[in-house]
Amino acid sequence: MPHFYFHLSNGTGDTRDEEGLDLPDVARARAHALAAIRAIMREELGRGLIDLDGMIHIMDDSDQLVMDVGFVEAVEVRYGNHRH
Amino acid sequence: MATTAIEAVAPPAALGVDRLLMKMRLRDDIDDLEEQAVRAIATPPVLYPSRSIVVREGVPLERSALLVSGLLSRSKDMRDGQRQITEVHVPGDFADLHSFTLKRLDQDIVALTDCWISWTTHASLHAVTDHHPHLGRMLWLTTNLDGALHRAWTVSLGRRDALERLAHLLCELQVRLSIVGMADERGYHLPLTQTDIAECLGLTPVHVNRVLRELRERGLVTFRSGRVSIGNLAELRNLAEFNTDYLFLEKRPR
Repeated sequence: MPHFYFHLSNGTGDTRDEEGLDLPDVARARAHALAAIRAIMREELGRGLIDLDGMIHIMDDSDQLVMDVGFVEAVEVRYGNHRH
Repeated sequence: MATTAIEAVAPPAALGVDRLLMKMRLRDDIDDLEEQAVRAIATPPVLYPSRSIVVREGVPLERSALLVSGLLSRSKDMRDGQRQITEVHVPGDFADLHSFTLKRLDQDIVALTDCWISWTTHASLHAVTDHHPHLGRMLWLTTNLDGALHRAWTVSLGRRDALERLAHLLCELQVRLSIVGMADERGYHLPLTQTDIAECLGLTPVHVNRVLRELRERGLVTFRSGRVSIGNLAELRNLAEFNTDYLFLEKRPR
């Protein structure tokens, strides 16, 4: 199984993932990143903060970028009559 | 990743009971006859490789597992693949003494690292607790301590934020490992992955990693390469609202 690393950049700074995770494919890696983003946002929301500027950089075993997943991709935002 | 190298050499047969006695003698005296009785029922340690299931939920049981070395979890797997760990067992713990009366478990016991386990049969536990009622109460005490841990974890999962939750777990393991001589105020060996810790805390590994960074940047504690290095234990405990009352460290007749 391929190994993926999930480096986080958000309002709290940059957090490098030294450990990584074995996952079957890129789709599962993206799903893992989305779940991680939602969990972090859930807690930030509890403190009254919605910060959509964060990003998870998914890297492979040779430290090559697989995919960036933005915090903004993890949620549907409804505000007024707008949907984003 | 945590090390998965197999410890080929079995620990001394007496080590598991040595550690169980450390845990019990912190709370009350255990006399020589009681010590001999408990030593007599623990069988030589058997190796369970990291990630193996030691006891599976629902299986009929006639024996209980005394952890000699390594780390075990009690956990529940959800339909969607998520796992919640409800207790981490350290050496000297019986992982499933409650199976003595329940006869099956409501959760799995999983080896988080390579683990050496001494099994004790329920028949031998029955005999030893008949002949030594005080020893029976002390073994009962250890299951009550497990209950206290579960209550403390419920409070953490329900009311602490991620930073406090992680700090509380690291404080708890520092005390429990100290009791069996495996930690001091500067830290301890903890060969767990961020995923294991996330499964204890109801968080994701990415979140655990971010919170670990915050604890490190505050100078409270660093977790790296399977070692917890404590920078400021008093401040770490203060952050976690941790005190040792729920671990019942006082020695008294029981």
